Amino acid sequence: MTMNNTEVHTLSDEEQGLIDQFLIDNQLFYGPDPDIMRNHGLAPRSDAEESILSSDLDLQKVNMVRGRLTAALDETHTMVEQMGVAPGAKWGDLVTAIFTANGDMAQTGTFGIVVFASVCQYPVKFIKKYWVDEDTVGVRDGDAFIHNDSRYGNIHNTDQSLMMPVFWEGQLVCWVSSTIHEGENGAIEPGGMPSIAETKYDEGLKMSPFKIVENFKLRRDIVTFLQNSVRDPKLQLADMKVKLHSILRLRERVLAVIEEFGVDYLQGTLRKSLEDTETEVRRRIEEMPNGISRVNTFIDGDLREDVLAKMPMEIRVKDSRMIWNLKGTSPEFTNRSINVVMGSLKTCLLTSLILYVWPDLPKNQAVFSAVEVEMDENSLVNASDEAPNAMSLLPIFRCFSMPPMTMGKLNYCMPNRYTAINANTYSQPATLVYGGLTQHGEVTGNFCADINGNGTGGRENKDGEHSLSPVFGYMADTGEMELAEEELPYIRLVAQKLAKDRVGFGKFRGGMGYEQIATVKNSTEFGFMTGQCGSKHPSAYGLFGGYACPAYPMARIKNINIFETFKNNPEQFDFDMITLMNERKITDGDYYVQDAGMNFELCNEGEIYMICQGSGGGYGDVLDRDPKLVAKDLEEELISPDLAEDIYKVICDPNKFIVDEAATEQARKAERKARIQRGIPYDEFVAQWVTPEPAEDLPYMGSWGDDHSTLIVSPPGEKRYSIPAGSAGVMFSNPKDRRIAELEAELAALKNIT
Amino acid sequence: MRRISVDIGGTFTDCFVAWDEQYIGAKALTTHHNLAQGFNNALDIAVESIDVDKQELLASVDSVRYATTLGTNALIERNGPRIGLLVTEGFNSTIPLSRGRGYGEGLPFEQQRDLPNAVRPAPLVPIPMIRGLRERVSYDGEILLPLDENDLREKLRQLVDQGAETIVVMLTNSVVNTDHELRVREVFLEEYPSYLLGAIPLLLSHQVAGRKGEYSRAVSTIIDSYLHQTMYHGLGSLERNLRANGYEKPMLISHNSGGMAQLNSTDALQTVHSGPVSGIAASEHLALNGDLGNIVATDMGGTSFDIGIVVEGGEKHYDFNPVIDRWLVSIPMVHLVTLGAGGGSIATFDRLYNTIKIGPESAGSDPGPASYDRGGLLPTVTDADLLLGYLDPQNYAAGRIKLNPSRSRFAIEETLCDDLDLDITDVCKHIKQTADTNMANGISTELGSRGYDTSEFTLLAYGGNGPLHGCGIANALGVNRVLSPPFSPVFSALGAGNVNQLHIHELSTYTVLFDTATNSILSDYAKLNDAIVELENRGQEDLLRQGLDIKDIKFRLEFDMRYGNQRVETAVSSDARRFDSVHDILQLINLFHTRYGERFGEGSQASESGVRINTIRVSAFVELEKVDFTEIKPLLEKLTVEATSSRPCDFVGFDNPIDTAIYDDVALVPGSFIEGPAIITTKDTTYLVEPGWTYHASNRGAVWFFKQDQCS
Repeated sequence: MTMNNTEVHTLSDEEQGLIDQFLIDNQLFYGPDPDIMRNHGLAPRSDAEESILSSDLDLQKVNMVRGRLTAALDETHTMVEQMGVAPGAKWGDLVTAIFTANGDMAQTGTFGIVVFASVCQYPVKFIKKYWVDEDTVGVRDGDAFIHNDSRYGNIHNTDQSLMMPVFWEGQLVCWVSSTIHEGENGAIEPGGMPSIAETKYDEGLKMSPFKIVENFKLRRDIVTFLQNSVRDPKLQLADMKVKLHSILRLRERVLAVIEEFGVDYLQGTLRKSLEDTETEVRRRIEEMPNGISRVNTFIDGDLREDVLAKMPMEIRVKDSRMIWNLKGTSPEFTNRSINVVMGSLKTCLLTSLILYVWPDLPKNQAVFSAVEVEMDENSLVNASDEAPNAMSLLPIFRCFSMPPMTMGKLNYCMPNRYTAINANTYSQPATLVYGGLTQHGEVTGNFCADINGNGTGGRENKDGEHSLSPVFGYMADTGEMELAEEELPYIRLVAQKLAKDRVGFGKFRGGMGYEQIATVKNSTEFGFMTGQCGSKHPSAYGLFGGYACPAYPMARIKNINIFETFKNNPEQFDFDMITLMNERKITDGDYYVQDAGMNFELCNEGEIYMICQGSGGGYGDVLDRDPKLVAKDLEEELISPDLAEDIYKVICDPNKFIVDEAATEQARKAERKARIQRGIPYDEFVAQWVTPEPAEDLPYMGSWGDDHSTLIVSPPGEKRYSIPAGSAGVMFSNPKDRRIAELEAELAALKNIT
Repeated sequence: MRRISVDIGGTFTDCFVAWDEQYIGAKALTTHHNLAQGFNNALDIAVESIDVDKQELLASVDSVRYATTLGTNALIERNGPRIGLLVTEGFNSTIPLSRGRGYGEGLPFEQQRDLPNAVRPAPLVPIPMIRGLRERVSYDGEILLPLDENDLREKLRQLVDQGAETIVVMLTNSVVNTDHELRVREVFLEEYPSYLLGAIPLLLSHQVAGRKGEYSRAVSTIIDSYLHQTMYHGLGSLERNLRANGYEKPMLISHNSGGMAQLNSTDALQTVHSGPVSGIAASEHLALNGDLGNIVATDMGGTSFDIGIVVEGGEKHYDFNPVIDRWLVSIPMVHLVTLGAGGGSIATFDRLYNTIKIGPESAGSDPGPASYDRGGLLPTVTDADLLLGYLDPQNYAAGRIKLNPSRSRFAIEETLCDDLDLDITDVCKHIKQTADTNMANGISTELGSRGYDTSEFTLLAYGGNGPLHGCGIANALGVNRVLSPPFSPVFSALGAGNVNQLHIHELSTYTVLFDTATNSILSDYAKLNDAIVELENRGQEDLLRQGLDIKDIKFRLEFDMRYGNQRVETAVSSDARRFDSVHDILQLINLFHTRYGERFGEGSQASESGVRINTIRVSAFVELEKVDFTEIKPLLEKLTVEATSSRPCDFVGFDNPIDTAIYDDVALVPGSFIEGPAIITTKDTTYLVEPGWTYHASNRGAVWFFKQDQCS
């Protein structure tokens, strides 16, 4: 064969085989395996599964095995929740799970974070593929493997999992796992979610799956290495023990099931549960109308600078196929921390389906295996392995919001729905991440349980609930402040106070969020960061005419000691963020309002940090809201009278909360007429509204309009350019360098004047 | 011994009378308009058996003791007063937000996970009735912001103007510094003195619950306040009724702590769930008295299945943050888990797995199972039991309910047979087996998460459906011994008659026993001992106030301990009550180490993370005379009993029906021995002896079931 005038030798099969073997024998590095990380489908049936499932399994017995496994998972979940040291473990951010021998996530218990379990399929499959036959490693009874690197399958590196193979008569028959959101992991900022990480090397521990347990015991040399790599060695050790003992218990229970029912029933049940689930999902897809549903969502910052990064989702249903298309998403931010690994993102989409669309389905991997997914390479939702992703929560949380919108629209005409159609739950980690020295002399770093208090969206039949759950789970807990303050040197001056007027309006309004005002006492080395965006563009969208939630900035008052103020001028302090910032009564303080995403900074004793949990989106037209519900909102001081009148057009006695029905009817009629008058024909609207490209000063990232083949890239401080979708990520300059350049320019200008 | 104990439930008032050597159980319908009437009716039935006048009986007994679900009912019916709540400013939304998860407390899992349909329960304190006070105390009791009394007076006025009928005060960290809460009360009494008509009660959170946790402590106080009037009037009328009928001693009330106290030493919250908890207390008494070893106590009724654990050696299992109705509270309550499984649990087709699902929906008692013929169209566990041949349609619930098998058949055929492609008998077997397995799994989770091996337990099966499903549950659980206890139909009443007069006091603390930052062991012994003494004194005062003799008062000291900053609070019971040396502290750490290892696995301990006491708890109690049940142990003699008839019954694991012997009350004669399969239908209940099991009646109506290779 001739190519470019060079004679090229065509390889025989034998030669190709030799080269392949050579490459295997000389592999530099067992990095994340794309074949594993890109496949969210079920593994093919193993020979054993094939044989078991072709026999006549007694379904009643299968049901009993499933029940036994659920009981075992519930038991071990309770163990982890009670034994765990990390705040995440205490307040619900954990799971135990069982996987097939091939690594498919087959079952979780009644409680626990599904996404943690789903994402563990990837490291399990990695271990199975690479370490089983590796002489220097091997997978034996009594081994367990630890892992946290998201590139091998994880939401972010702050979560740690321990995975153990279960053997029966020498055969590996399944896997068990235990995962906790640990928090501290030795990253460049404390708490495990460094927003300033510019490379993956700033993210702290990056554990590819490796063996840490042999003969059912933790290896102390490796434990020591891990403890040496993090700020909180006590947490690292204690929670590894917790995870180990929970999976040992789970293993014990699984073996008991095998003894009672036989190994075929264990493996048959795990596989059958997955296949039955996939069959049911396919049935539900076929039940849906053919069609396309879309939503465009945006992230308004990367925790270092303002950007408007697009994350669209299109769902196409055609007969038995359902395709989720995320093309057109912003390119990855190669030196910012908010990127996501594709495999992780898919498990979030899976979890969103379970939480917001089909909550009756089993919590296993097959809920999503029938769904086809399309994404661009090198995008925010499908980032390269080099891109940091410690704060992947920002796009990931948005991925929990997209399916209820798109699926909600498709499901609206369905006679039989599996839950209420719902607008977005607030989708930001509105919590303080902390780190430093406690009042007890211990070094720590973690996050507060407020992450579990998002307001839920308005629903087809009722208002959303205030601060109910994290966007990624249920029955989680915002905890008790008295217990938190006992362990940590922060004090909540406002712990939970519903944020008046900050709501997604609608026929059924979103559930609201609460303000938090925190300070530090009895520590000279303690500080905060946050990982929240949505300060300029809303994070939770309304549905069918409902409003989105508002934008939420954060505020600080520095260079004060509030405890001195309490002693000398207590009247200067108001338990309310807006009053504090608007009236500025605390003398000599420096007042700041800023983007809610804040990099880590030390908090001196008595300085004040204020953030706000958000509201869910509204559902339906505000003019359709029952005026009595508006009056109730007024009585509960959730909204101000002028908003009741301006938004809902409800006229209500502000003291007695009695609706003037006639005046309300008249105001609403007038508003409907005004709407008609404001209205213009659709073509005219499009002509006015649609522009060939975004406004010049908008730091826009992603496709513009429906053409997803080209992405617009607008890095701050640089000229805008376009790239073919999937071709590359974007690098940002350092905000401090930009600021220095600005100041230097100002200085130069001043010099020129003088 | 002469004693009366009563359990006033939602439907029945159960009564247990110990009259010297005679023990009598009696039931009457609960009369909600006047609880005394139901009690009198039950007592009338009881006195018939012992041929004694009611007045004479009441004048002669050493005590009358009540367990009651009055509080639970009042909570469910939402008929409490309008409460005004004062909290620390900045914590105004803590109660409405209920820690996020409050929407799902007390609900079945299926509803907990359905976020789009999540709805919080209607609040006990609506948002407009909550006010924040300008004050703040730190975690260690330092006053950071002094109480603003002008602000307090203004907020009190607002609540009163808004119609508050009772006031609850929950100030942050008030358990470590009570000054502000106490000052609130002083100011309140200055403004609204108690001698005036229309005086409003005011409750302080630190006096209701001694633990940290502002939400659960506030809810405890709110519920206490909410139930106070209802309980006071309900129980007060009972006491007046007793006095009118010749009883002159103080009436005693069962507490959910497993103890009891006089009415004047009882707060409303302590009575909630006291009925089911009395069942656990009865189990504990039987276990000790009958030398039964470890017991898992189960109460299977029409809609629910309660599980309690009684371990040999007396270690008590408490919930410190139990859920009452839909509310998480802070109170030490005997551990009790309730599953949504009972005779009325509805069986549905699970399309996904092509199998049967039981519950959590229940047909309850109205309309009840299809066979009740009261309009229920959905098949239940009871319908399956009926069609399998276990129940006598004419003699169910002592003949009070006539069962209609054709209704059961119709319901099962209509909703399950076609989908499952099974005949009706197989469907019924699946229902029975699934129900039994679900309950067994619930027990297994309970025991397992506490580190116990199920095979080391005896299953105690009581409640309306307990003796019917006991063998099935035990089969699924791997347990070989089942005891249907004496006086099973009035078991909670029996339990109420056998508890000690007891008070529990707790104190939240941050006591570091092993400090990893300094590598030091606690040396401030005085502080620890002082705290213990303070709690002992409070318990002692409670008991002395009720006229008990100081020399009879005993104490049990427990610590809730943890490694580092764990959530778990492993209760460690300490024989030592004072600590004066490194040796004492290390011994306590070792006790914790042992208990923790037993529970979570040896090697799971993490002393290197530090060891700390979070709560100190002192139970002060006086041991009282108990009803004697030593004779309920399995008997040596095995009497043959004549079957009254037989009928074909179907059993799980058997393809064809088995002709099954039927027995009546005669089989309750002590020593009666029957090999399964068999059915014993008595006036009180139906005992099902499954194939492979034996039935052996003991004294006092106790019945033992043994797996055949485990026969006594």
